[in-house]
Amino acid sequence: MMKKIWMVAARDFSVTISNKGFLFGILIMPLLITILVFVGPRILNAKAPTVVGQVAIMDQTGSLGPALQSSLAPLSIALRRSRAAGAGQGNAGGGGPQGNGPPIPNLTVVERSSSEDVQTAKQWLIQTPDAAERHLALIVVHADAVKPAEGKSEYGSYDLYVAPRVDENTENVVYDGMREALVSTRLKGNGIDQSTVEASMRVSRPPSVTVGATGERETGRGFARLLPIICGVLLFMGVMTGGPMLMSSTVEEKSSRVVEVLLAAVSPLELMWGKLLGQMGVSLLAVVVYVGLGLFALVQYSMFGLLDPMLIVYLVVFYLLAYLVYGALMMSIGAAVNQAADAQSLMGPVMILLIAPYALAPMVAQNPNSVISVAFSFVPPLNSFVMLARLASGTPPPLWQVFGAIASGILGASLAVWFAAKVFKIGLLMQGKPPSFATLVKWARMA
Amino acid sequence: MDTALEVRGINKTFGANRAIDDLNLVIPRGATYGLIGPSGAGKTTAIRMIMSILFPDSGSLTVLGKPSALEAKNRIGYLPEERGVYRKMRVRSFLSYIGRLKMGDPAAVDARATHLLGRLGLAEALNKKCEELSKGMLQRVQFVAAIVHEPELLILDEPFSGLDPLSVRVLREIIADEQRRGATIIFSTHVMAHAEELCQQIVMIHKGRKVLDEPMAGLRRQYDHRTIKLEPLDPSADLMALKSVPGVERVQLTDEGCTIGLAAGTDPASALRSIAGSVAPARIEFARVRLEDVFIGIVGGSAGSEESKQALKTHLQGLSGVGVAS
Repeated sequence: MMKKIWMVAARDFSVTISNKGFLFGILIMPLLITILVFVGPRILNAKAPTVVGQVAIMDQTGSLGPALQSSLAPLSIALRRSRAAGAGQGNAGGGGPQGNGPPIPNLTVVERSSSEDVQTAKQWLIQTPDAAERHLALIVVHADAVKPAEGKSEYGSYDLYVAPRVDENTENVVYDGMREALVSTRLKGNGIDQSTVEASMRVSRPPSVTVGATGERETGRGFARLLPIICGVLLFMGVMTGGPMLMSSTVEEKSSRVVEVLLAAVSPLELMWGKLLGQMGVSLLAVVVYVGLGLFALVQYSMFGLLDPMLIVYLVVFYLLAYLVYGALMMSIGAAVNQAADAQSLMGPVMILLIAPYALAPMVAQNPNSVISVAFSFVPPLNSFVMLARLASGTPPPLWQVFGAIASGILGASLAVWFAAKVFKIGLLMQGKPPSFATLVKWARMA
Repeated sequence: MDTALEVRGINKTFGANRAIDDLNLVIPRGATYGLIGPSGAGKTTAIRMIMSILFPDSGSLTVLGKPSALEAKNRIGYLPEERGVYRKMRVRSFLSYIGRLKMGDPAAVDARATHLLGRLGLAEALNKKCEELSKGMLQRVQFVAAIVHEPELLILDEPFSGLDPLSVRVLREIIADEQRRGATIIFSTHVMAHAEELCQQIVMIHKGRKVLDEPMAGLRRQYDHRTIKLEPLDPSADLMALKSVPGVERVQLTDEGCTIGLAAGTDPASALRSIAGSVAPARIEFARVRLEDVFIGIVGGSAGSEESKQALKTHLQGLSGVGVAS
């Protein structure tokens, strides 16, 4: 029996990997990722136009106008951005004032009389919406914004009105500019030197160093944040390399009628296992290529030490479990229908199961040990994705949960393969109207 | 008797449709059995159950001494009615793959595939992709796939359909070689002439039931006592005058003479004498029963299986050694 399974698997494997489509497919994914990571942001930024427009201020304090003009100047905006980037990442850089962020808007501050009716002033915002210099925002500064009102310790604030179609980036620039203008004016009003305060408040954030048994290295929080996503993508690509291929090759064997010739030589179970293992080899090859490229990149950037080698072992284990479930389901769909087009309606529930981990991803990433994360670690076939993301996170789960997830994964895979075996037995020679998912379940119970 | 196949009371139902109804069959080793019946009679379902591709709802089988074909698949060759190949695969690889799946020795499989394709006029197709071949060529390739591993039991479902006369002849010769090699052959066909020529025993299935299980030799010896064939000594004799002979119901002229139908209840021997007395015969005989007549008698004459059996009994009445499956 094993020899026949091996022969079917070897044929499926060799036919698939010698296909030009497969070679193209396996190379296209790393290429796409490279384009997305390195070229994408540049292309996106290059296309974003610079916003040019006016910001009006109705200043009841009468002292804020010059400060706002200064804080909304392009150089001031660039300086604030570079400080924010430095505080966030522990190092400056970011490629100069422009950095990789959105383009700096070119804003002109226009002062309007504070005695003007606000409702009338708002009309200014909806004039000349398509002019080269748009009317972007109206700031109404409260009278107590720079000096607290009599008998109060809190400062007043301001109201901001914006024109339609003002983007979030421009709005944030106005907020930050107002904050800087108000703070500097208030400090000046209190006789405090702003540069002294700023210098006193500035504490540069050094990069942390992780001290390990094998040596010291710079802590890579960015890599740690990316790792669960990378693992999820690898699982998805592995499953999507093997699963649809299984389905289409089964449909092809059925529609070309070669399946009856095969069934004269092997049992439905041998054929199913042979195909399942053959395509498992194919998608495992794809995963090995992707992981290999990833490891090569880590070695090139001297980041290999950031990766726990056990994670690769877990990746392979959870990949195998996920592949068996999704592969068996897709293959049983292939065995049930007569042509690829008929498979679309049956693929719906399987695709939902495949996309569900991405809906869970934010919750798992935010708190890898929450009740929902733990619960879904035991629900196949989602558990492979959830548990791998948890293992790759900064707070890995306890070992009993890992083994529990593997056990539930084995159970899920066994059920899926059992289901596929039953559908294979009945569906392979079935012609005519394609069955619904409920019919497949009926077949499984019948066979 | 050493049996290649024994089927005991198998039944198969698809939804409300009873595809096989209490089928019993014993095929000795080395025999060639023809499985005939109209389309939808249940032949292919019966073959698929013999092959353990489908499984009976009840009843049992013994194939080459095993309780299931699953345990004897390597010793069986099967040409299904619905032919199929891997279109992108080369002919050599396809035949080698199928032969190896049947646990054939790879070198022997390759050598036999080359030899058989050569006999079938396909030597140059060995390195072509299956998709490059015509329908008839593919049919011959699939036939080779069925016998490439020298099976003990060979099941051929409509092997000649869609083939040109020359290919049919070569295929018949190869089947005869397989018979001489000692293979048991089960051969399903709609073409009665092929069944008559190749088979030792005819099994007919109609509406899922076996309605005939007879040796071909016995059928060949049988005569239709309701029909007389006459070749007159004088070619200008008035054959239509025979209508006036007592017991003659109809006279149909043919190239050689005429075919005379007798009325029910007429004594065949006295009618033969009266006809010979009216027109001097060069040759006069009762018509032989052809398989086609048996087939049409069962299928065309009635709807139910009981009526079919009755029709066949009437058709073969008075003949010794003829039994009808019950």
